[in-house]
Amino acid sequence: MQQQSAIQAEEAEKIPFVGDKEPLSSLAAEYKAGGSPVLLEKIKILSEQYAAIRRTRGDGNCFFRSFMFAYLEHILESQDRAEVDRVRANVEECRRTLQKLGYPEFTFEDFFALFLEQLESVIQGSEASISDEELVKRSRDQSVSDYVVMFFRFVTSGEIRKRSEFFEPFILGLTSASVEQFCKSAVEPMGEESDHVHITALSDALGVPIRVVYLDRSSCDNGSVSVNHHDFTPVAGNNNSGGSEAVNPFITLLYRPGHYDILYPK
Amino acid sequence: MAEEKYNRKNPAVKRILQEVKEMQSNPSDDFMSLPLEENIFEWQFAIRGPGDTEFEGGIYHGRIQLPAEYPFKPPSFMLLTPNGRFETQTKICLSISNHHPEHWQPSWSVRTALVALIAFMPTNPNGALGSLDYTKEERRALAIKSRDAAPRFGTPERQKLIDEIHEYMMSKAPPVPQISSSQASESQTTEKEGEVEGSSRNADADGTQEGLRDPTLTDRIIEEEPHEVPPNRDPIVIPQSVPATQPGDQLLLQRPEPRVPRQADDRLFTWAAVGLTVAIVVLLLKKFLKAGGHGAFFTDES
Repeated sequence: MQQQSAIQAEEAEKIPFVGDKEPLSSLAAEYKAGGSPVLLEKIKILSEQYAAIRRTRGDGNCFFRSFMFAYLEHILESQDRAEVDRVRANVEECRRTLQKLGYPEFTFEDFFALFLEQLESVIQGSEASISDEELVKRSRDQSVSDYVVMFFRFVTSGEIRKRSEFFEPFILGLTSASVEQFCKSAVEPMGEESDHVHITALSDALGVPIRVVYLDRSSCDNGSVSVNHHDFTPVAGNNNSGGSEAVNPFITLLYRPGHYDILYPK
Repeated sequence: MAEEKYNRKNPAVKRILQEVKEMQSNPSDDFMSLPLEENIFEWQFAIRGPGDTEFEGGIYHGRIQLPAEYPFKPPSFMLLTPNGRFETQTKICLSISNHHPEHWQPSWSVRTALVALIAFMPTNPNGALGSLDYTKEERRALAIKSRDAAPRFGTPERQKLIDEIHEYMMSKAPPVPQISSSQASESQTTEKEGEVEGSSRNADADGTQEGLRDPTLTDRIIEEEPHEVPPNRDPIVIPQSVPATQPGDQLLLQRPEPRVPRQADDRLFTWAAVGLTVAIVVLLLKKFLKAGGHGAFFTDES
């Protein structure tokens, strides 16, 4: 265990929580030496649609970290007040969910407050407003970044527990754990990696659609290569969610087995 | 409090101050915990030995250290009062403490950890690091001794806090049950302690443990080796319970052994069985007498 965490820490030091925006060619460069032709082919296809990638640290929190940065950056660039108000309402709903589930308020309120603070600060025109550089800086600062990640973990766990009947079959497909055990062992602890269950729950809870582009070595039987993606569209039933008609996710993540990074469309 | 000294912007400090506040506004009779004035990352605590166990009536002091990364990293716990279950001045090896950091989660708190610690006391240590496996008699003796005085530990300021906590716990704690040596080791004594009037009170005491009200919390506490839990005792659910409101009643509530209600039931069943048997015998006798009258007593055999 100690050795494992030592290795993890060492690996993690190499890359900040959230990296710089890099051209997509840097992704290809990663696979140049002895890389699989399928991957190179796929990256070529990707580069037709996507311009850049922003890497995140592979510390088990990469999905939440990627989501955090991509979402806040989107608000910073779009200055979409309506979206902020909408997500705020959903955050309040998540707070009520946790209260109903019996979480003591003090165990989650700091995390909620810190997220809302970041959300407010990316909207320009107030004293608290921050720039893109500041957003990057904060996302690399553990005392902000980990708190926002943990906020998302609370939201995800609350959503899964609230709709445990819906999530149960998916969780049973992953492990033999109960919904409760799953949240306890795979959602709430920091550093636990995310799966489609986490993504679905977070997307539903906040009402934010997420596109995940898959980059792996798989190819079609006939030898043709295409890049698959999956859109996580929030269920319409959830309050204030965009509904199923929200077809164009503004968050795109690149998934390579075991890791998520942020993708930027052209 | 020393709040002024701390950077309230520091998230760990903010969280810890909130826990102190929460702890003070929802006091429990089962435990008490406060940080040192000069360092809120250093806490003292005392827990009450769980009822219906050899620890009942004991007051066990200990020390908690919160890491700078709290609540992302777990607190560490150490007992100071000899108790026969955990070594003193040795970090306790539970999944809630920092021997198993991978199990800790920020939705837990010092309160959660203390409730778990109480629940773990009567469980089988199975050779876990820092655990002791004293006999029930030894543990009971230590429980009695634990009430005499608080342990001596650390700076005068810490000692003052320990003494304050001890006084508070003594005002709330039930006495160590009077158990004769023959009973101390027994597991199924039936007759002697059947003070049945205690049973009805005990029945409404099996509600919720203070601090365990929240089902999600208790479900999430993991024992380090769950499979080693003795089958007849769920370590998470503490059988004894005390509504925190009326400390006066608790002394009474704490007393009855958990077997008492069952004994009452047993006794009732016994009498019912005896009654039924008598009735059947009477009926049979009547029948036989009748049958005898017709000379058909041994029909089958003849």
